[in-house]
Amino acid sequence: MGMKEHAEIMTPPKMEISLTINGTNVVLQVPPTKRLVTILREELHLTGTKISCEVGRCGACAVQMNNQLVNSCLVMAYQANDTSIVTIEGLAGEELDPIQRAFLEEGGFQCGYCTPGMVMAVNALLATNPSPSDEQIQEALSGNLCRCTGYGGIIRAVQKVITNNNQAI
Amino acid sequence: MAIQISLFNKKKKIRPDGLGKVTGALKYLTDLSFPGMLYGKILRSTEPHAEIQSISVDQAKQLPGVRAIVTYKDVPGLNGFGLIFPDQPVLCEDRVRYVGDAIAAVAADTIEIADAALQLIKVEYKKLPVIVDPEEALHPNAPRLHPDGNLLHRAYYSKGDVEEGFQSCSHIVEEIYELPRQMHAYMETEGGVIVPEVDGKLTVYVGTQHGFKDRYQLSRILNMNETDIRIVSSPMGGSFGGKDELNIQPYGALLALATNCPVKIHQTRRESVRAGLKRHPMKITMKTGVDDSGKILSHKVKILADTGAYATLGPAVLDFSVEHAPGPYVIPNIEIEGLSVFTNNGVAGEFRGFGGNQVTFALEGQIDRLAEKLKMDPLEFREKNLRQVDSPGPLGQKIAPTSGARDVLEAIKEKLHENTNNSHLSDQWKVTGTGVAISIHGGGLGVGRIDPAGGRLSFTKEGKIEAAFGFEECGQGLLAVIETLVMEEFKCKEDDIRIVVGDTDSVPISGSSTASRATSMVWNSIQRMKETFRDEILERASRVTDLPVNELTMGPNGIWLTDESLCISYVELAEKTLNKPLLKVETSFNFPVSPDAVVDGSHFLYAFSSVLARVEVDLLTGKVKVLDLEQAIAAGPVVSLLGYQGQIEGGGIMALGYSLMEEAKMENGAYVNDNFDTYLIPTIQDVPFVMNVEAIEKLQEGDIYGPRGVGEIGTIAVAPAIVKAIHDATGCWVNKLPVSREFLLEQMATRGEKRWV
Repeated sequence: MGMKEHAEIMTPPKMEISLTINGTNVVLQVPPTKRLVTILREELHLTGTKISCEVGRCGACAVQMNNQLVNSCLVMAYQANDTSIVTIEGLAGEELDPIQRAFLEEGGFQCGYCTPGMVMAVNALLATNPSPSDEQIQEALSGNLCRCTGYGGIIRAVQKVITNNNQAI
Repeated sequence: MAIQISLFNKKKKIRPDGLGKVTGALKYLTDLSFPGMLYGKILRSTEPHAEIQSISVDQAKQLPGVRAIVTYKDVPGLNGFGLIFPDQPVLCEDRVRYVGDAIAAVAADTIEIADAALQLIKVEYKKLPVIVDPEEALHPNAPRLHPDGNLLHRAYYSKGDVEEGFQSCSHIVEEIYELPRQMHAYMETEGGVIVPEVDGKLTVYVGTQHGFKDRYQLSRILNMNETDIRIVSSPMGGSFGGKDELNIQPYGALLALATNCPVKIHQTRRESVRAGLKRHPMKITMKTGVDDSGKILSHKVKILADTGAYATLGPAVLDFSVEHAPGPYVIPNIEIEGLSVFTNNGVAGEFRGFGGNQVTFALEGQIDRLAEKLKMDPLEFREKNLRQVDSPGPLGQKIAPTSGARDVLEAIKEKLHENTNNSHLSDQWKVTGTGVAISIHGGGLGVGRIDPAGGRLSFTKEGKIEAAFGFEECGQGLLAVIETLVMEEFKCKEDDIRIVVGDTDSVPISGSSTASRATSMVWNSIQRMKETFRDEILERASRVTDLPVNELTMGPNGIWLTDESLCISYVELAEKTLNKPLLKVETSFNFPVSPDAVVDGSHFLYAFSSVLARVEVDLLTGKVKVLDLEQAIAAGPVVSLLGYQGQIEGGGIMALGYSLMEEAKMENGAYVNDNFDTYLIPTIQDVPFVMNVEAIEKLQEGDIYGPRGVGEIGTIAVAPAIVKAIHDATGCWVNKLPVSREFLLEQMATRGEKRWV
């Protein structure tokens, strides 16, 4: 392969994309196929979104795009154009999100590397289904791998959020 | 149902590093970036075994954006690494021995450019015969992978006369067990940033389980003084043993020195799988005999471990397997031989359980098969042969007295009674079964090994009680352990404490964060330092406040007068004693070892576990689902409740994966499944929704060693319990992990129905 071809690979065309990230509008000049996870981590330094398998299998990079849970390693820049993205950094306001608090209290993490994606997945589940069954919890979180906890603490954390929500109603 | 604590209910404390983890604010070392940072990539061999005839980097060097390329010519010091002996080349010169062997490394302005540069590096290989089978590797005519041949290590132990023992046996079971190559599969792959400092020093922000050891190894490679290298090694997104050995550090360091720029390397999952360590595949032959009464008389074991291309901790892993081959049983005649053999497969090394997992699977398999032959209840059979409080260790050495083996067996017996008859199957093509297994697991590196421990307590200028340890936070919860122990000892608050770990420039030598030793050594260090520290801080407080020292006590936020009122805060005390020398207490000692052990690496402190597994087997698909997984652990007092529970549950599920789904297959020296789309680890769908962990906190009277670590023990006895449960459900004995659905279907089709014990 000649040098020229490589040089072309090095400088791909860029497009302007505009998207909302955690409530803030962002305009970027990026190659259209740049992955959302790379944009978040490298361009915007939002490193709460993690990177682990890069093939959409582990959920470490999970974020919400227009309220849908997506693996940000599988979303390209042009697909994220004109969307609203919420990452782990955008979840807590003044107070921690109840999901984050439950993860803390129930030991829903150890190394914590899967936690941002896992919390985003729980958030996406409970936003549409405040009282999921055990099976629904398992299905909703089956795209998020955790190697540390064996999922015990995660399950207890999710159950705690559900119980607290039901008590609040 | 949460953890059951036998003595008292400890508060579930929130981990000190928790907030950063649930908010995503915590910076892992692979999240760091520095001004002017370059990106590094490592060129690994395409051949599992070959001579390198030439390496050409000329074309790659001309690619715009490439800032440095290093090969073996650029290694200033020793071109080798390895925790025991440095037989793995940093950058290969004339030969490659596995597909993870590094040949060159590139630093460039972007990852894409670095990747493209790798494509332009030309390596000419002359292929050599590939050895993939350890038995072939031992053949006298096999090509020699290393100057001393293909046998990395032989470990041997014998007691009594096994052959004579077998003559008196009424039942003998002889089986071959095969264990797979398991991947650590930590969620964060290896990586970080290596930064050349203005004063010529080097800071290495890369996860490891023993910062000082990385510093030592890097100093040899880079030909630098150890004190000119700083290793920042925490936090990590998981390690499980896999980041104990050097991984990307030497390449990042060479590139950082060559470019005088910070260099980031973060391996992709595929790169990680290809280069990284795995659990040793082992083939274990066991012959075990009993007399009519059910006493085990003779136990003969042969272990063949595929250690891959290089040594790393392979010899120590084998020693551990040999040591744990008799398990918690008292057997008069024993012969154990272990061989760890070089092949052209991926490097096998340190992995949670450290050789105990493999040999315990085989041993407990023998026990269950013998119980069946004796028509004896498997628990009763275990009980009959179980070690007593003062029994010697597995290799006859004196160990700290412990009733752990009996305690875990009793606990699981209770659970078994509770667990029976609660299956309500609606599907006629599904069967359930229950299995139990137990284990013993040594902590620390063992006798004859350099195994230092230590720590430091100081009172800082800011009024914090600073606890510093040379350990790493891999995710296991070390910070919570330190915080809890300091708070319990000094009755202070979280805010009163500052914890320092994982930075060779500011921590004392504590040894490695491996071998279930960190919690144990933090506790022991604090015991050694607490009185001096307390006396000194109270003495200072007494002088400042003019109150009698014997009426002062340490408490929340400061020093209290006879437990009733805060008389001076820690902050005030620090302010008023600024002119005094820093209050600092240090300790250093060695991990306790057996006084009379003759076999290198054998242990003194042991933890025990018992596991109850209940499975459902689908007779149409062969799928095994674990319905229940309960563990009882005897490892001394619980320090951190959530940490303990998490280690046991998480270890249990990692072992569930080992039992039922995980195998890093290699074909002709190449990994077949190199990412999570093909290497499957348990998801939330694969685990029991509720698990139970029982902590047996009891220690023998006079035991001065405190809590034992629980990082590994939860992984040990799970596989044999699951396999016994499958047998209970189907009548099929399984000798090979992960359990093959096809094998089960075939067995069930040919063997017919379940046999009851």
